[in-house]
Amino acid sequence: MKVELQINNTTNANGRFVGWSPSPCRIRITDPTGATTQTVVVKLSAVSTATGGAVVFRKTAAGTSSTTLDLSLPINGASVPFFVVGRKASISNGDVSIQARAQIANSPIVGVIRLMVRIRKNAESLTTAERDRFLAAFASLNTSGRFQDFRDMHTLLSQPQAHGAKGFLPWHRSYLLDLEREIQTIDPSVALPYWRFDQPGPKLFTLDFMGVAGPTGTVQWSATNPMQFWATDSALGVTRSPMAGWTPTTQPGPGVITEAATFALGTTYVAFRFPMELNPHGQAHTRWFGFIRSVPTAAKDPLFFLLHCNVDRLWAKWQRINGRFDPAVAASYDSAPANPGHNLPDTMWPWNGITNATDPTRPPTAPGGGMASSPCTTAPGTQPRVQQTLDYRGTISAASRLAFDYDDA
Amino acid sequence: MTTKKRASKKAAKAPKGMSALAALSVATNAKKTTAERVSALAQAPEAVMKSDENLQKLCDVVKNTDEPVEVRLEAINALATAAFAVATFEPYRNDYIATLQEVAVDPNQEIRESALGLLASEKNKFAQKKLLDGLKNPAKALVPPEKALQLLSYDVHTEAYAVARDIISNSPNELAKQEAMRLLAADPNSTKLFEKLLRDKDETREVRQVAASALNSLAPQKLQEHAREMLLDDSEYEDIQATSLSAVKQFGDDEEVAKDKALLKSVNRLSADAKSSKYKKSAKDFLAMVAEKEEK
Repeated sequence: MKVELQINNTTNANGRFVGWSPSPCRIRITDPTGATTQTVVVKLSAVSTATGGAVVFRKTAAGTSSTTLDLSLPINGASVPFFVVGRKASISNGDVSIQARAQIANSPIVGVIRLMVRIRKNAESLTTAERDRFLAAFASLNTSGRFQDFRDMHTLLSQPQAHGAKGFLPWHRSYLLDLEREIQTIDPSVALPYWRFDQPGPKLFTLDFMGVAGPTGTVQWSATNPMQFWATDSALGVTRSPMAGWTPTTQPGPGVITEAATFALGTTYVAFRFPMELNPHGQAHTRWFGFIRSVPTAAKDPLFFLLHCNVDRLWAKWQRINGRFDPAVAASYDSAPANPGHNLPDTMWPWNGITNATDPTRPPTAPGGGMASSPCTTAPGTQPRVQQTLDYRGTISAASRLAFDYDDA
Repeated sequence: MTTKKRASKKAAKAPKGMSALAALSVATNAKKTTAERVSALAQAPEAVMKSDENLQKLCDVVKNTDEPVEVRLEAINALATAAFAVATFEPYRNDYIATLQEVAVDPNQEIRESALGLLASEKNKFAQKKLLDGLKNPAKALVPPEKALQLLSYDVHTEAYAVARDIISNSPNELAKQEAMRLLAADPNSTKLFEKLLRDKDETREVRQVAASALNSLAPQKLQEHAREMLLDDSEYEDIQATSLSAVKQFGDDEEVAKDKALLKSVNRLSADAKSSKYKKSAKDFLAMVAEKEEK
């Protein structure tokens, strides 16, 4: 007897990634040889390596989790749904497996599928292999030319779409997700890491990771680091040096407020968003000299994406603390009228392709096309709306799950 | 309330302990200590966007050469932080740029570099002209040549190429040479120059590494050819071989590499004999990657 297991309801190997939210899965009998009844009970269990990820099972998305799950499968090949939830983050692709054992004589293993609990982690906690996979994939995206679209999305002309207004957090959540999905087409095991700017970065700010400022403030990399080939706007390298008196490997960003202070800015989105956009967000940017210090050039620096991953993580944690996933709850967002692209039902530039040819509030071009798709979820589609970014975990509606999670959120 | 919750509440109150307006008041008060003013500036950006008057108070601190440099630098940063809130900051933008332009010629070099850095990122023509003038006539230079070249590379114009080429052939210092090379990495006519610099063993490792990166931008296939040759060259420096291997590993044609027995033999030698354990590991990882792809 044999069964087929599908993670995220897909046979695509690049869809075998789960997070903390329930991932829809299914199982069906593909070869009923040995079955003596019209249905066969199959027991699912997870097998992990010592350092691998861990998952649990649910019969329904909102049901209780268990370490094993018995499912009754018809021998006619019809699929039976179940859900998988990550419990511990993986460190490599396929480091956790789901085994299916038929509850017949000798309990044979009738199906196995390897998967990964793919989670955005603190850059300081990555293993060397995780770090190197991230750098290799990011460098490849840069050299392929595709990264230039992301760089072009974040310039001074385009920034009224994304800064200084209520769409700041939703826009950047979409931006990171788009970039991460592009990186995952190169290496699906990679999730964006984040820079905890309120803590020192002893591993991050090294020659082997995000580089170290040379005498002129040009970032230097080790000879084995693929970021040494980084280029944007046809110009080579990255300019970034810490402000005088700050040692990023041993000190947090000076004047950058702590995580606790960020959460205490307010319990409503209106109270939370603008202060946090300035500090910690803006303050973390301006602790440096170089590209990252200014909107028009910030996205030329790969560190920008780790900084914003932490900004997004802070929003995610704030959402969880205050229960702000539901767009229908007033405190989850800001209902004051604003320019297109900032209101809950609005589609966001550039993914919607709208330029100032038809809407004077939009930029002259819309680089990059639609939002990258994911084999793990259909959300948010090619033209994300502001409201779709709030319920990123699928807490309110399972169909909203954007298939990313943070290690501590 | 638990200890953890109390601690969190106490820490959380810190930024609210001083309103943005109060922070601006402290930041602009010359009677306060430098440390107090620098600390307050972290909370001042919000106040800057409340009125023209507030913005001017901070701009005055930036422009006042009698103020402590630490306070002036942090005041520039506070303005830069406020500028991140693009839509809200828009009404104050012209005054911000005018202030930066004024202090771009400040007597203090740190202030000049800070302002010129922000202006360069905005592709500011005033700053670009000042930087280029300084390279052509060092008596007019506001910053060292290497810094000027670096900032000009934020928005490369062909006018800067000629100056950069001159600096490479007649470098005032090694850093200026490297920055000139970075700037020329956008110039298709510089491919041969980078090939020459990459293969010249008398050049510094830094120059050769920059040449490799520049070549990857301008003519990636050329870099692959040189990288292969440098990996086969027993007399080549280990760190240059490591950079070469990174290029092949990252951007090479997997099928071609797998068939290249001579190359694999050289990498195998690097994996066994390299003095640096990091280079050894890199070579081993590469061979493992090739073997894995072969298996598939």
